[in-house]
Amino acid sequence: MAAPGQSARPVLVCGEVRTCLLPSFQALDGRAAAQLLRLRADEHVRVSERPNLYVLSPEVLTGVDCRLPTANGARVRAVGTVAARAALTEGRVLQATAYFSAPATGPDLRRPWGQYLVRPGLVEPFGKLPEQATAQGVLRGAGRGELDLGMIAEGLLAGLLRHPLLDHKAPFKSRRTHLRWTARRAPDGEGPALVRFTLAEDGLRSMELRLPADTPAAAAAGLCEDLALHDWLLTTVVHMLDNSRLGAADGPSAVLALRPAVDHLLHLWMPRAHVDRTLGHLWDELEREPGFSRQWHSLVQRIRDQLAVQTIPLLHQALSTR
Amino acid sequence: MLIFAASDKGGTGRSVTSANLAYHRALSGDDVCYLDFDFGSPTASAVFDVPDARQAAEDRGLHSYLVGEVGEPVRVDVWADTEHRVLRNRPPGSGRLVLMPGDLSGGEFATDDDNLRRCVDLLLRLNSEFDLIVVDLSAGRSYAVDMVLEATSLPEMRGVDARWLIFHRWTRQHVAAAAGLVFGKRGIVAGGVARGHDEDALRGSIRFVRAAVPDPKSALWSQVSATQSAWMRECDRDLKQLASSHGIGYSQVLGAVPLEPVLQWREQLITDEDVLDSQIANMETWQALSDLAGRLTDDKYWEQA
Repeated sequence: MAAPGQSARPVLVCGEVRTCLLPSFQALDGRAAAQLLRLRADEHVRVSERPNLYVLSPEVLTGVDCRLPTANGARVRAVGTVAARAALTEGRVLQATAYFSAPATGPDLRRPWGQYLVRPGLVEPFGKLPEQATAQGVLRGAGRGELDLGMIAEGLLAGLLRHPLLDHKAPFKSRRTHLRWTARRAPDGEGPALVRFTLAEDGLRSMELRLPADTPAAAAAGLCEDLALHDWLLTTVVHMLDNSRLGAADGPSAVLALRPAVDHLLHLWMPRAHVDRTLGHLWDELEREPGFSRQWHSLVQRIRDQLAVQTIPLLHQALSTR
Repeated sequence: MLIFAASDKGGTGRSVTSANLAYHRALSGDDVCYLDFDFGSPTASAVFDVPDARQAAEDRGLHSYLVGEVGEPVRVDVWADTEHRVLRNRPPGSGRLVLMPGDLSGGEFATDDDNLRRCVDLLLRLNSEFDLIVVDLSAGRSYAVDMVLEATSLPEMRGVDARWLIFHRWTRQHVAAAAGLVFGKRGIVAGGVARGHDEDALRGSIRFVRAAVPDPKSALWSQVSATQSAWMRECDRDLKQLASSHGIGYSQVLGAVPLEPVLQWREQLITDEDVLDSQIANMETWQALSDLAGRLTDDKYWEQA
């Protein structure tokens, strides 16, 4: 094992985040959340209460020995471990992330498992890593027999959803979103950059980042979880507004359809709350284009205006019967 | 809510009727998912007229998912992918209508722990996303029936409401067979109780749907001779008696679907256009389907007798 630090220096980090509403009638408090996310007995769950309740599980590893997804069809076998973790925000929004880092080259022979296990979250290619093709392959999605981050994230999420703490009586129906992301190494001397954020159909999103060599993969995962959380909030509230037929349907029914948003979602908007300090400014690019917070504030304003309008007749009634 | 559609025999119109119910609920604004668990002969893609789904589900359908060959079963957005002229125009205010097709090459398979876990994961996941999930089960006491009985008996599924519709034709043999499927020695109730279901709760969640019922009073039969008419009424009365003696009398029936050539021959969704414009389908059928769809979630029809 010659100079493992050198050979293991990652040039590519890839991940997938799945975000959903916690299927429970009530939001979980910090203690219950920590209980839910205790994925390992030997490591603590991280609970932070400021500026909002955010609970992060320890990482669990999945050993892999399979082909990497590649956009050009190149067949590259890779061996190592994929890291996965789960996060719960305000006891309401559950996320599962699977991610791995890959070095530019790896050994041509498979090594004993012990050597992979001491590098959690690292997947080594046999020979040279086709960086670009792998990044694109991950964003496109894995085929059969290829390393499938979505399947690993889904496995973690499904396990959590079977937890006895959850009653599956969620206050409203909502869709999941999947965010696939890749981070290639930024040229020396350049800071982190967000290259592209794309919305596709069926709740699929993809994001390409450039990160300096010293950015830990877990920090990148944290940034992507934060973006995925806020994108999910936007997606969910937009869908709720669409379904409420606000403007078309009259009276209180349309507004009542929006009540779950008021009860469970509007207070969750808090970009960068738990993002690594060196990456927080990447949010600025999304704020400029497409303008995440701008859209959110407009949605929130619309909901509040509708609530206000609905109270006017009641006020009228109350005054006239005096 | 989960709706399991079962029948003892084939040819009861189970698939086509339950698909129509899914369609009606989506029209009224619910997000609806239709699962084709008829592993022996998946037909849903024909009913919803989504030929592409046949292709897509070649090896990525529910069957492949349950046996662990793919991580997620393929989903077909019916409004977007159908080739049906009317369905293509999604009406404003309607909910999502998603089909999860079965694999063309899939057959029945015995349930093991892994299949069961995947089935539970899928149902839990869909339950958080859709207002109504219609599961079309293979005819008879099939593995599919066993699997969902087992799945719904598990503690992690206790928060998910599930109801059963048993489809049968309005004939002596079908009435007896449907009763056997539910109350027989190896029936759904016995099988459920053996898996830990509460008997009363399970019985209370099962209702029957009489399919292809010729209504002697309908316009369709107004031209028949007096003798024929009398004979039909007598048969109908006998059948009602038979049904109630088998424990599937009036209080256990969620509704009846009239004998309808369009359902029988075309085996597709009946749209308002079929009823109002081209008038190839009967208004009574449309109304019966609409009533049934509403009763799926109307607790009044599911109270214990």
